[in-house]
Amino acid sequence: MRHERTGIMKSLQWSLPATLALFVAGVAIAEAPADSGAGDVLKAPRDGRIGYVLTERRWAVYSEDDLDKTCPNGFNSGPRDQFDRLFPMDNGQQYTELETRLMREGRQAHPSTSEDPFPFYEAQGHISYGLNLDGEIGPDDLQSPTGEKGIDNQVYRAVGCIDGYRYKGAVWQFDTDDMLANLSNRFVIELTGVDDFRNDDDVTVTTYRGLDGLHRDATGALSAGGIQRIDLRWGQPFIYRLQGRIVDGVLTTEPVDDFKLLWSMGNKMGGHQLFQGFRMQIELSPGSAEGLFAGYVDIDRWDHNLNTNWTTHFQAYGHVSQPSLYRAMSRLADGYPDPVTGKNTAVSSAVEVSFVQVHVLHPPEDARVARTE
Amino acid sequence: MRRLLNMVWIPATILVITGGPAETQVDATAADAPTTGADGEFLNYWQPPGSPAQEAYLDEPLPPGFQVIISPLEGPVFADARGRTLYTWPLVSQRNGAAGDRMGKPSSCTDEVLRFSAGLMSPYPAGLLLPDLDQRKSCASVWPPVRAPENAEPVGKWSTIERDDGSEQWAYDGYPVYTSILDRQPGDVFGGTKMGTSRDAGVPRDPVGPRPAVPPAFDVVQSSTGRLVVNMYGHSAYTWEGDEPNKSNCHEECLTDWTPVPAPENVTELAGWTTFERAPGVKQWAFRGKPLYTYNYDRDARSFAGADVPGWHNVYTQRALPPPEEFTVQDADFGGQVLADSRGRTIYLYNCIEDTFAQLGCDHTGTTQAYRLAICGNGDPELCRETFPYVMAPAGASSVSPLWSVMSIDPNTGRSAAPGQTEALHVWAYRRRPVYTYAGDADPGTTNGEGIGEFSGLRNGYQAFVLRDIFQENEFRRP
Repeated sequence: MRHERTGIMKSLQWSLPATLALFVAGVAIAEAPADSGAGDVLKAPRDGRIGYVLTERRWAVYSEDDLDKTCPNGFNSGPRDQFDRLFPMDNGQQYTELETRLMREGRQAHPSTSEDPFPFYEAQGHISYGLNLDGEIGPDDLQSPTGEKGIDNQVYRAVGCIDGYRYKGAVWQFDTDDMLANLSNRFVIELTGVDDFRNDDDVTVTTYRGLDGLHRDATGALSAGGIQRIDLRWGQPFIYRLQGRIVDGVLTTEPVDDFKLLWSMGNKMGGHQLFQGFRMQIELSPGSAEGLFAGYVDIDRWDHNLNTNWTTHFQAYGHVSQPSLYRAMSRLADGYPDPVTGKNTAVSSAVEVSFVQVHVLHPPEDARVARTE
Repeated sequence: MRRLLNMVWIPATILVITGGPAETQVDATAADAPTTGADGEFLNYWQPPGSPAQEAYLDEPLPPGFQVIISPLEGPVFADARGRTLYTWPLVSQRNGAAGDRMGKPSSCTDEVLRFSAGLMSPYPAGLLLPDLDQRKSCASVWPPVRAPENAEPVGKWSTIERDDGSEQWAYDGYPVYTSILDRQPGDVFGGTKMGTSRDAGVPRDPVGPRPAVPPAFDVVQSSTGRLVVNMYGHSAYTWEGDEPNKSNCHEECLTDWTPVPAPENVTELAGWTTFERAPGVKQWAFRGKPLYTYNYDRDARSFAGADVPGWHNVYTQRALPPPEEFTVQDADFGGQVLADSRGRTIYLYNCIEDTFAQLGCDHTGTTQAYRLAICGNGDPELCRETFPYVMAPAGASSVSPLWSVMSIDPNTGRSAAPGQTEALHVWAYRRRPVYTYAGDADPGTTNGEGIGEFSGLRNGYQAFVLRDIFQENEFRRP
């Protein structure tokens, strides 16, 4: 679909031969009744229910473009570059912490939309991933790599010339690595009411925070068939029920507002992104799923999450200048105006996601797992 | 929202013991009975006032005049003849270099008043002039070295190391020993904590003390409110209300969830620790007469999950006394619990260690406020008070816990107010540092102020007062 995938992702693409091969090879497709054939597996999961756990999650930035055209001025400057330009240490001037480090950190904690003292380069390309969020084809919209017009993904404009967000950049890498390492990010979806795995016009997708680690096979690759207990005690703010439909094996959900997507880095706690008009478009298979989350991401929450989870030292890994990025996001905001100021509060965005299938364990109200992890 | 248990507070007593055998120091078998019911959750974290529970320790030889003091939160610590807690400062690598003392080497904490940053922390360079230069102190004046007499003899783990000025300084385990100017009374451990830390939080001073008197099959770890008993693998020990003294009633179905902690046939006698025969030839450990178990569904070490099962409790050698009664405990969205104010707003602690080779704390009111003001107010004290408001103390408020106090703060400087200063704010302080709420927390259980500041609030910023964190173990980390 896009960049290279892990072995399991390659092997579990939705196709009849692949699924049959897995079935014959003895890979457990637990949703299939014991006496069912491969055709039944493809038809529908047992009891119309199947779960997946998130294994990859990155801001969707098209990186297979011609950099000379997309970022003709090069990449944006990061914290170290900007510090060096503001406070050259080779001119003999004596600086104080107050006017340098603390000034920078203070402004970072209290972001401003005043004019950026540094040039900021927005991505100039016309192709990126995403969905048509507003149903229109506007002058600022992008085109998907497969040719679909009207793609709304202004986050791509904002971060497309920050090298950390591009393919295999620091943010690109850590967004998923830290998600896997940080158990509080365990994002689980469960589809119910699935009568037909390929085409079903009414399915329910419920999101949860999971409580368990991920299963890996003998090679270390993430594998299907694991178990996820769900966090009903502390994870209530992350439980949403989305209505969706499956067309030719692709699940699309109806948009919902105020959607909190778990998004903590490293060993940090409590991080999430806030989306308006959030929706999923993911291609399903019995063992895996992959596709996009999309919606208008809240600028202030993005900024807060970046500052608290990935502070200046880490931002420097990927040449991410938070003050500059905040200004760019504010300029590019294209949705959900503040009722008082009229300024847009959110930016259209898309997130690349991959899942593997898991068995979702629902605790009864009085069961041990409902009270504990 | 739950209130703290409404009870008659009994002032805490600091027990000071000089060089006596461990068995004589405390009534280690005294029950520290957890309370069940609506307020029982609070006493899962804190010790009921009046409880005699204190951590027993293994006796070890001390230099003349030194002593062991049972501190309210950290348990037994070494102290000098005046009762001042002793600290070491082991070397820790930072992002760009290292700071602290090297084992067996002279102290790096000197009389020099440092003026420039060291550049130990990324991404800022060395050589920046530090704030409030006219008020800066030397490392040795903030961390007075514990001098040894010229004729001092090594004893046990104690030795002496010559300082640069030729004087002798006591060392423990090879590291020079200091006191803290933040400690004013015996039992104060306000210069550091036994809780773990990240290197990004700076190079802290560690209180030193004797080993806890627990059998080899157990250990004691420092949580944010007490001294938690775990087994040799780090898994929490639990007790059950259905048991009898030194007798287990956990059989058959009970054993599907709980595993008795097995004991060997022969054990060394330790105060408070017993074994009993739960079945022919099968012995089980008990602490203070209560049989011990591990919880079969604990996912990680140092868990509180088993105590969610009614009638079951974590085991502590001792816990801190409860915070002021207006404070509450809240379930938090991150997966755990936090300390909160009377309206359920999460309580935050401010952390700061400066970027110098002395690694002096900048997290209290006796030092520069420039770092804190940058984060909470972009340098503006008024904005700072709006963003991270102090937790105001009611008139005449006091605390049963010596960890909590009311401080008078100059609202414009953030430093301690002058005596009689009329506009001073009277605020709650924990370990002599003001505590805060965050303006961005709209609802109980939200922790949006967590991580604001440098290195996610570890280095110069704010972190929530975490009591329990099922995903990250922040209840076992500083602050």
